Amino acid sequence: MKVNYHHKLIILLFFLAGTTAAKIQAQDSAAATTILSLRYFLPENKVPYIEVNTKKKTGRIFEPVKGVAVNVYFNETSERNLLGKITTASNGIGKVGIPASFKAAWDSATEVKFLAVSDSSKEQESLNSDVTIKKAILILDTALVDGVRNVTAQLKEKKGSEWIAVKEIEMKVGVKRLGGNLTVGDADTYTSDSTGLVSAAYMRDSLAGDEKGNLILVAKVEDNDAYGNLVVEKSVLWGKPTQADTHFWHRTLWSTGNRAPVWLIFIAFAIIAGVWSTIIYLVRQIIKIKKIGKEYERTATAIK
Amino acid sequence: MNNVENTKKFTPEKIISDLLPQQFGRRGVIWTGILLAICCIGAFAYIQQLRKGLVVTNMGDYVSWGIYISNFVFFVAISLVGSLITAIFRLADVPWRTPLTRISEIIAVSAITFAALIIIVDMGRPERMLFLFTHGRLQSPIMWDVIVISTYFCTSLLLLYITLLPDIKIMIGAKEKMSTTPFYKLYKWLGNFWKGTERQEKIRDKSITILCITIIPVAFCIHTVTSWLFATTYRPGWDSTNFGAYFVSGAFLVGAGGVVVAMYVFRKVYKLEHYITERHFDKMGKILVLLALLYLYFNVNEYLVPAFKMKKDEEAHLVGLFTGEFAPLFWFAIIVGMIIPIIILVFKKGRKPNAMFVAGVMVVVGAWFKRYLIVTPTLLHPFLPKYDAPAKYSHYFPSWQEWAITAGSLAGVLLIITFFARVFPIISIYKTITDHESELPS
Repeated sequence: MKVNYHHKLIILLFFLAGTTAAKIQAQDSAAATTILSLRYFLPENKVPYIEVNTKKKTGRIFEPVKGVAVNVYFNETSERNLLGKITTASNGIGKVGIPASFKAAWDSATEVKFLAVSDSSKEQESLNSDVTIKKAILILDTALVDGVRNVTAQLKEKKGSEWIAVKEIEMKVGVKRLGGNLTVGDADTYTSDSTGLVSAAYMRDSLAGDEKGNLILVAKVEDNDAYGNLVVEKSVLWGKPTQADTHFWHRTLWSTGNRAPVWLIFIAFAIIAGVWSTIIYLVRQIIKIKKIGKEYERTATAIK
Repeated sequence: MNNVENTKKFTPEKIISDLLPQQFGRRGVIWTGILLAICCIGAFAYIQQLRKGLVVTNMGDYVSWGIYISNFVFFVAISLVGSLITAIFRLADVPWRTPLTRISEIIAVSAITFAALIIIVDMGRPERMLFLFTHGRLQSPIMWDVIVISTYFCTSLLLLYITLLPDIKIMIGAKEKMSTTPFYKLYKWLGNFWKGTERQEKIRDKSITILCITIIPVAFCIHTVTSWLFATTYRPGWDSTNFGAYFVSGAFLVGAGGVVVAMYVFRKVYKLEHYITERHFDKMGKILVLLALLYLYFNVNEYLVPAFKMKKDEEAHLVGLFTGEFAPLFWFAIIVGMIIPIIILVFKKGRKPNAMFVAGVMVVVGAWFKRYLIVTPTLLHPFLPKYDAPAKYSHYFPSWQEWAITAGSLAGVLLIITFFARVFPIISIYKTITDHESELPS
């Protein structure tokens, strides 16, 4: 019968929808444990730091977990290899730099392992995570090839006491702007060639720089499995000099309190002085009335 | 026409005995008790707010000015009546003003006191009030408001005090006639020096005239500056060049409405039928209808013109008022706060005390909701789109703490007026006697 067939179809659809929803729910609740991860950063080829990130899957989105205490170690989890103890902030992130006491160990190493172990509590078991990094530096330079400005970048890995350029590395080359980095050419990313070099033609001739025309070039290696995150900047005189048209120090209605327009100060204080001098005058009149009253009383007493 | 017609057979002794402050009866004690209880609940809610912060309110990222600022605007508005009745009527030499002046003066002082206090409540951290003086920007209308409120408070207090001096002397003299004299020391401290000499009278008269001339621009400033708190920001409903006049006309209306209600209550409670007569209600009724028509005119301008254009950015705000979430309140404020009082008051029968009392209450209640409608709906409809905001940010309903503090402040205003009427004559005895003597045939 046709009606029965429809009923069966509807029941089947409900069943399928129900099981799918239950499956998603199960996945969501199963994933509701805190995840600990580590990232390595080397800014300007100077002091590296480790970023600890704690997050939890709530529903279908990840939310940061704050207040997790994490110990970060250098190469192995021992007390003397402790880089530092950090507590994650409201965004779930905590950072620790490599202390000066680890300089000798850091300088001699070519590959380093960072380990993170969190404290255990009633609500949360101890978490751990590690990341192994090959020591590398990022070099940013410029070159003029056939009258065209080029930005070159090279990632060099430490092998023994040598720094060797690395091939096939993806990196970003851009110009630092107020809201982020602008690519120097059309491509978003560049891959180093067989000599380990990235060369990008600079195609942003009309960019405004600072007062002298300085621009800041940026090269970045991001979340590389072997080398982590490296970033390096270089200032070049390639921009148009700009004279900032600022009214910040002028006397305006929107400036700070001590830079109020003179006309406003004059009018406001003239009104305030006018009204308050009247009030003071009236208070003096009351005092005068009081004196007259006392005089009258003294005279009346004397007559009696 | 003044009240001499009704009191021409009264001797000065009779007038003094009628107008001296009276002890609270049973009703007075209950009334004061209720007001004190509401104030205590408000104080309790404020302590909670002080301890936990503004998080106890339902204000948020969008509605950052809620019921507190609505209430502040209401208090500032009603306080303007001091300048209308005392100053304008005196300078215009309105002969029937005597029984109304002190009522309007005490309404002004009590309302402006709580206007200042409610601003501190709204700040959340009261100690930061000091920063307004140490780090204040003269360019900010908020700074102008602080200056003008303190100035208006001082001038209103001076006006109240100077006009009270001869009555204090009468009360000191009438010690035996008063049922109890717990305030005798206060009277002596405040006005024992007043002897009524010619020189004193001359200085007092001159001072009152100067005060009346000063208080009118200050009063206009206080409400114009309050309107600029809104109009100097770029928001739907506030972006108007007309706001100063619109606020001042509304303030005169609610102030006059408040005086009518107070006239009726004092007349009933203190049996002042011979002093606050039907003629006074009739005159005040005519003023009230004029002010209601004026305010209605400004409302038509403020709403009809933007509604005619119905700019896309202002549409949500206007539709919310006319037919949306705030429509019941909006039409209540327009119809009950303006149109019905006008209909009542244009007829002579409507200007009788009972009808006037109803119209006065309507005006005052409608005015309070009108201030709420000026503040809140605009904040809920910003020009910039709301991005990633929780759904609750799109609505605002005050928390119990906000209601309690607001009710406490309203009760506080009434409590000041009640205590004032217990301590001082609510109608000037001295002026009533002098009016009486100057009108009687020699």
